[in-house]
Amino acid sequence: MLLDIHGLTKNFGGLIAVDHLSMSVGEGQIVGLIGPNGAGKTTVFNLITGVIRPSAGKVEFDGKDVTGKSPHILAKSGIGRTFQLTPLFTDFTTLENVVASYYLHPRSGFWDSLFNTPKYRHNEAYALEQSLKILDMVGLSKVKDERAKNLPHGYQKMLGIARALAVQPRLLMLDEPLGGMNTDEITFTMDIMAKVRGLGMTILVIEHNMQILDLCDRVVAINFGQKIGEGSVKDIRNNPDVIKAYLGEQNVA
Amino acid sequence: MHTESLKRQRRNITIAAICVVVGLLFALPQLGLSVYFMHTLIGVFIWIIVANSLRLLGLSGQGSIGHAAFMAIGAYTSAILAKFLGWSPWITMPIGVLVTVVVGFLVAVPFTRVRGIYFTMVSLFFGIGVLAVNQVFNKWTGGYSGIISIPRLFAYIKTPYYYFCLALMVICLLIMYRLEHSRIGLTWKAVAQSYSVASSIGINEAWQRILCLGVSCFFAAIAGVAYAHYYVILTQETFSFNTSINVFVYMTVGGAGLFAGPIAGTAVLLIIPELLRDLREYVPFIYAAILLIVLFLMPQGLAGLPAQLWQLIKRPARAKRMASEKEVGERAP
Repeated sequence: MLLDIHGLTKNFGGLIAVDHLSMSVGEGQIVGLIGPNGAGKTTVFNLITGVIRPSAGKVEFDGKDVTGKSPHILAKSGIGRTFQLTPLFTDFTTLENVVASYYLHPRSGFWDSLFNTPKYRHNEAYALEQSLKILDMVGLSKVKDERAKNLPHGYQKMLGIARALAVQPRLLMLDEPLGGMNTDEITFTMDIMAKVRGLGMTILVIEHNMQILDLCDRVVAINFGQKIGEGSVKDIRNNPDVIKAYLGEQNVA
Repeated sequence: MHTESLKRQRRNITIAAICVVVGLLFALPQLGLSVYFMHTLIGVFIWIIVANSLRLLGLSGQGSIGHAAFMAIGAYTSAILAKFLGWSPWITMPIGVLVTVVVGFLVAVPFTRVRGIYFTMVSLFFGIGVLAVNQVFNKWTGGYSGIISIPRLFAYIKTPYYYFCLALMVICLLIMYRLEHSRIGLTWKAVAQSYSVASSIGINEAWQRILCLGVSCFFAAIAGVAYAHYYVILTQETFSFNTSINVFVYMTVGGAGLFAGPIAGTAVLLIIPELLRDLREYVPFIYAAILLIVLFLMPQGLAGLPAQLWQLIKRPARAKRMASEKEVGERAP
């Protein structure tokens, strides 16, 4: 398993946001994390990526314990992520956003950058070339010189994914990639996700929109921080607890 | 392709203009520059380094209103070593800079735990704290009355100082420009825009902000030691809160968004009072007028003025062209 979570728990004071959650993501899979509003999905993301520290439990990535490590260390070990709300460097252009995200591979040191050494120039040329390739893949080449804050919402979301790809992650974590998108954009984004999987990346995705289930190999459903269901898409669709969480008590046949 | 060549052309013009200005500055003493004005310009060179180092710190999203304190650490270290141990200023100056950078990195570790306006507040307290330390060690620093007759770099003539400070400024500006336009600057700007996104792509954002403060201290200290061995007197007032605010004003009036901003701001705000020496009592009013004009009419600061004027010239021309095109269009059918 690429990502293993055991008994992950987070208390905010008396509120238990995530309660003994265990799940795992296998290499090459697309795993969906679903749940109604306030179920604790984003908290789980932030716990995994080290934005907040868990109260208890363990996160293992690629066999190594990474519980409570800083976000930049997790990025270094191969986790790329997008954000639900602030996905971008807003004052940079589209291209600059991706180029700036080529920070780890290749990595240029302070003195190399200052003295513009051949190694640095080579790294920068590589970063630019790869960034253009990524923008091409996610269909943002035509707006590459546009400032990120001026892009339409759907493009901003795509740019968030492009940025996360620049980290060259083994595990890509997407926080509501379809949020606020129209039908065309949803189809397009899901195509991209399929393409990304084709590149050998593993994806963990949070989503409200149930269309995402078409792509998922496995789904984990949570509510009030607790796991209420796990399994194939079909299992989840027929799981009474999940239906109850989404539709309420009376609608259960 | 067209815009690319236009961009290159504009870049060449800018480089040519900079070369002319720098060449002129180097030639000025030969062209019979008065000693008084030379004195003013040396001050301008020193404060330009400080104002630009403050802007460099701003790249990583950190605004300081205690920056003069870092100048003070460098200046006092160098001055005390040179005066009381009798070392040559050429040795004590690098030591002063080194000490400041070390102190800068050490204080950056706790300071960069806070961001934005809170960092600015901490920088203010640091500025005041350094002045208090100055009082405590008044045996060496002289406290309120200050430290006087610091050993000079050159004999009593100003021309070598002029060349020294000019060269120092040009070198410092070149390095700072390079820093900003390399990946280092890109990373700092990324951290300034969103620390959470920056750390998600593997940037150790806390370290980057520490690094930025350390580098900024380096340049502030260079200006500090040059100041100490040129003016040869340091008092409590030299690096007070007022000084820090002045530097901040030089930067903002010139335009914090542009590299040329602090340069333009420092030059204008330091040279104008000298040109209007006869109207000395009115200088604060003139300052206020400049500040208000810049605040209301020049969102980019003084350095953004050429671009702004260019827009003004271009707009009527374009409007005229569009009007005539419309006329033609109306007549055509």
